[in-house]
Amino acid sequence: MASLSTTSLSFKAPSTRISQVLRKGSSFQSVAFGRFASSTSKTSLRLQISCAAKAETVQKVSDIVKEQLALTADTPLTAESKFTALGADSLDTVEIVMALEEKFNISVEESDAQNITTIQEAADLIEDLVQKKPAA
Amino acid sequence: MQRSLSMDLPSLLPLQLPSRMETHLWYIRPDEVKCASLLNHYSQLLSPTEKDRVFQMRGDELKKNALLARTLVRTTIARYKTNNEVNPRSLMFKKNIYGKPEVDWQNYNNCNNPPLHFNISHTDSLIACGVTVHVPVGIDVENKERKIKHDVLAFAERFYSTDEVKFLSTILDPEVQRKEFIKLWTLKEAYVKALGKGFSAAPFNTFTIMSKAGTDGGYNLCKTSEMTVSSLEKTEKCYGEWKFALLELADSHYAAICTEDDQASGGAPMRVIVRRTIPFVEDEFISQSKLL
Repeated sequence: MASLSTTSLSFKAPSTRISQVLRKGSSFQSVAFGRFASSTSKTSLRLQISCAAKAETVQKVSDIVKEQLALTADTPLTAESKFTALGADSLDTVEIVMALEEKFNISVEESDAQNITTIQEAADLIEDLVQKKPAA
Repeated sequence: MQRSLSMDLPSLLPLQLPSRMETHLWYIRPDEVKCASLLNHYSQLLSPTEKDRVFQMRGDELKKNALLARTLVRTTIARYKTNNEVNPRSLMFKKNIYGKPEVDWQNYNNCNNPPLHFNISHTDSLIACGVTVHVPVGIDVENKERKIKHDVLAFAERFYSTDEVKFLSTILDPEVQRKEFIKLWTLKEAYVKALGKGFSAAPFNTFTIMSKAGTDGGYNLCKTSEMTVSSLEKTEKCYGEWKFALLELADSHYAAICTEDDQASGGAPMRVIVRRTIPFVEDEFISQSKLL
């Protein structure tokens, strides 16, 4: 279920993100449906792998957010959930960023931190930063 | 003026605007508002956009608090009647270019619109709204007992200024240290919100707020100079343009207020008038606001 929902949410992500994955500038919808339709395409495999990675990141971010905001297990939480809608104030957001830095061993610029408003955005930023890190 | 009240409620108590040297601080405790019909009445004051935002909050408590926050802002501003009767429901708001909310007086088309500034802050157990005239205001409230998940010093080292970290590290008792950390947080937040230019305009590690030695209350803002040749030469410039006040509210919260210093006040400390309210039900003037 998690990967399905992530995939559907990825549809709503800016098309540049999909094009980064697929290295094509084609439009969102045609790419997504077209690629899924052709199961032998290498590109669709790449898309699926990248989506799986994002699902895992989204899950980890969600866990951190749940813990920081002391959310009950049954609080409806999706990748698109806004921190503020979950009751986070500025101190919570900063604590969440610190926890993400620790968990993923990254360093978040203050200007980037300010732009994170949803779980998906946090996951996207993390993936970006992790990718950019020099190989260990 | 069309009466939109469905309940038999007293009107809002009208008030004089704060003087130039004053901040009015209004607060509401969500746990004191339980009546469903009262909440329903409040929801009628909100704009459609505000109602949407309230419903986007996940969970009943968060929805209620969001509703109370908008109610507090609208009813508070409406109290400061000038020539026109101001209806809390018809107030309009806009944002400055950095996203800070302001009153949009376009509906009240005369030149006597009060030069009123406001700022709001909420925690899950208290929502506050500060009002000033002529000068921008920023407020922040935090629960005194709020637990920080990270080590306080690690947090400060990551986000606060060098001098603030030094100050916090001299405090040996962890509980006192945590409280001082929170006080500093509220003061720093209040400043950034008063500035109204977003967080990137004043990252927390670029300025220091310290209590003034030898006076009862009062804080100084010192900024690390941006233009230094080397980090060893960082000089701290202290700015007198901003006034701070830190209070304890309802025995449970710290509230920090920051206003731009109007030179006309002659450097006098900020005067804060605190009132607890349940709009349309009761207002209580809080005579003793412990200033920290």
